[in-house]
Amino acid sequence: MAKIFEKQSSHEIQSSITYEENKPKAFDRSNTVENSYRVYEDGKVGIFYRAGHIDDAEGFRLATADPERLRPYPFMPEAGGKRDRSKVESTFTDREVMETAEKYMKYLTDNYPQFTFAGGVDTRWCCQTLTNDLGTDYSNTDFAVGVGFRFKHKDSLEMIDGGFSFNLRKMDDGTVFREMADLYLSNYEKEAEIPEEIIIDEQYYGLLGILSSELNAENLALGASRLSGKVGEKIFADDFTLEHDMTDKEAWFTRFWDGEGCVLPEEKLVLIENGVIKTGYSDKRVADKYNVPHTRTAYHNYTDLPGPGGLNLRIKRSEKTVKELLNGRPAVIPLQFTGSDMDANGDMTVVISKALLWDGDKVLGHLPEFRVKANFIDIFGKDFLGVGSDDPIYHDKQILYRVHRV
Amino acid sequence: MKETYHFPEGLYADIRIEETCDVRFFKLNGELTQDKRVIEAGAKIRVYDGKLWYTASTNEPDEIQKELDALAAIATPDPDILNNPIVRLLEVNVDDRTSLKGDTMLPNIARDRFLTTMKYYEDRCLDTETPEITSWAMMSDGHYEKKTFYSSKGAAISYDYQICSVGYYYLFNDNGRPMEGGKRFFGLTPEDMTGHEAEVISEKERYLDFLKNAVDVEPGDYTCVLSPISTAMFAHESFGHKSEADFMLNDKALRDEWVLGKKVGSDLVSIVDTGDMPNHGYAPYDDEGTKSRETWLIKDGVLTGRLHDSTSAAALSEELTGNCRAQDYYCRPQVRMTNTFMKGGTDSFEDIIKDTKDGIYVYMVSNGTGSSTFVLNTTICYRIRDGKICEPLRVHMLNGSVFKTLFDIDKVGSDFELFDTYTCGKMGQSLRVSAGGPTIRVRTLQVN
Repeated sequence: MAKIFEKQSSHEIQSSITYEENKPKAFDRSNTVENSYRVYEDGKVGIFYRAGHIDDAEGFRLATADPERLRPYPFMPEAGGKRDRSKVESTFTDREVMETAEKYMKYLTDNYPQFTFAGGVDTRWCCQTLTNDLGTDYSNTDFAVGVGFRFKHKDSLEMIDGGFSFNLRKMDDGTVFREMADLYLSNYEKEAEIPEEIIIDEQYYGLLGILSSELNAENLALGASRLSGKVGEKIFADDFTLEHDMTDKEAWFTRFWDGEGCVLPEEKLVLIENGVIKTGYSDKRVADKYNVPHTRTAYHNYTDLPGPGGLNLRIKRSEKTVKELLNGRPAVIPLQFTGSDMDANGDMTVVISKALLWDGDKVLGHLPEFRVKANFIDIFGKDFLGVGSDDPIYHDKQILYRVHRV
Repeated sequence: MKETYHFPEGLYADIRIEETCDVRFFKLNGELTQDKRVIEAGAKIRVYDGKLWYTASTNEPDEIQKELDALAAIATPDPDILNNPIVRLLEVNVDDRTSLKGDTMLPNIARDRFLTTMKYYEDRCLDTETPEITSWAMMSDGHYEKKTFYSSKGAAISYDYQICSVGYYYLFNDNGRPMEGGKRFFGLTPEDMTGHEAEVISEKERYLDFLKNAVDVEPGDYTCVLSPISTAMFAHESFGHKSEADFMLNDKALRDEWVLGKKVGSDLVSIVDTGDMPNHGYAPYDDEGTKSRETWLIKDGVLTGRLHDSTSAAALSEELTGNCRAQDYYCRPQVRMTNTFMKGGTDSFEDIIKDTKDGIYVYMVSNGTGSSTFVLNTTICYRIRDGKICEPLRVHMLNGSVFKTLFDIDKVGSDFELFDTYTCGKMGQSLRVSAGGPTIRVRTLQVN
């Protein structure tokens, strides 16, 4: 096999203004470039990573300069795909970053003087590329403005009582910020009671990290997953469907190709459908080694070979809104919480030290500290209530599930 | 340290240059699936005009002066900047503390030296007989860094740090219930990490026993004996983070609560932070060029100090402590711990257990967090009955009020240990730290 040269790169520009105790503290910016050079030959690959610019010829030379570091890679790099995708919808200057943060902080301090605030506004622009001499030529460009504020009540002895954040590709007129600020803060001081039936309402990305590890095809094959031996079985709720979805609008800065240059048809992979585990996810090595389907899901690794990962897991939405799913019951919005590790049975305990209670429309007040128990199968099984069709309070998707007080 | 930069007039500025080397090897059932070696250089440039910090990160070291000039162009010069309370505090140290040379220095350590150390454990710890062991994994890594710091006030500092580690882990599965357990060791070079195979095998037996025999704890309040690694986590999470002064600059409620001289714990409790120890939190100078000192946070139960950067020290009219640290050159520094530990006492471990009629021995924890209520997540615990360690217990977490728990410590062991396993997270930055402590006994903790 003739040598095949491949380059993966990323150029990222970030700016941010940070406030501390209601006052501006710092304006930060960075402009960084990363390059990964790969040379494939005779079932092996040499990899060289450089943070910063380097001449391409030198990068490729260094990728194979140390024969001991050539890695076994008995697979062909991807050939022929061409696509140039931009998800950029707007630009936002450093001046606008500073003015927006100032405007938002003024709104918070004018309307909620009983709190102190930290956080700010940032922008991130990123262009990622993959090219090789088999004709693959991909690029993905994205841009987002991030807004995030933490709050602390002036009488509180905690360092932080809560916070809210959101990302937009195109900055709005401030409506999203004001709606979130008012929801979180206007009724915070009221004391609410912990309901008998505890329903958690949260963004699900962190929670899905648990499922991600359990669905790794290598973990499934080695018996290291609680779902080992259960592919094809119905384990979860009838209305629980889980996809790796690269098309979701809240997939920020995600490339449409995986860490090995593979592109999924439709850019989606169904992992769990109506509660039935359809497949684990794999990269080329794991698919080959364990004789499982290659699902084109390798994480991006500029410094070494990739492995299975890099998922954008999304739960299929219900047709009902969050309020409809709650059906008159209140839900808990956790603000500060710590969960235990999951034990061998999949059980875990969570201390919720700060939380809001809300009814799907408005916040009813804050809750005292309490502890709950949950099981990861049950969260997506008998305790799963759904993912609303709308995005209230988080300005993003949210899962509703029952937990049990201890 | 020969670099010369042109610093702008009427502004304070500093430059932190970082050169790093990282290697990592990972084997799963004998197959080498990770083999990484990365050498990187970059810089963080900061400019302060008395109102705002302006910072830039670059991984093009040749661009430092250009970035500095660009930041200066958007700042507002103040002719009296040297009399600004924050700038006035910043130290002007000139020192070269680099010491790593030759083949002890990670960039010069051949790949084979790591693989040989991994093979050493592979040959001695491989277990193909135990049916519950489904897989095994090994990792070895190394981190080297050299920091160089210059400021417009004249500071010129350089130091280096290096750590390597090797870990051997077993993946167990008992009737569909998976668990992972093993042990990790640290050293300056790969050769320093051999000789611990008996500890790996003993740990394997402990995890197997736990997986097969552990029973669920009955949730409730228990007297808890914390092993040194559990005490270390408690000291770091429950109290260490509260000693970081950047959360209380002008906050009256917190300043009133955390007033120095206040009794906050039992007489047996003393907690210290210092960056000038050759451990995982080594930082002889912080990322503002401040020399590290030994800061007693609690001495004999009395609140005696807290950790500062220049902003918090100026706001609270206290001394700098050398605790302004950043994850890497991409990040702006903030108040962070270094090597933080609870001091040892006089009781032996055996006597503490013998003196405990009914309680729980917390052998291993995985992580923790701390607000007014702290949480320690546990992996292996045992029941104590009549002064003896009994059956393994499945416990998810311990939690309690920090304020109450510090007073509830009634035994402090003499078996102090410092652990280099820690990575601390704060505001999106992960940082190397160490934490330490002895065996302690706490009269009551909530156990779930």
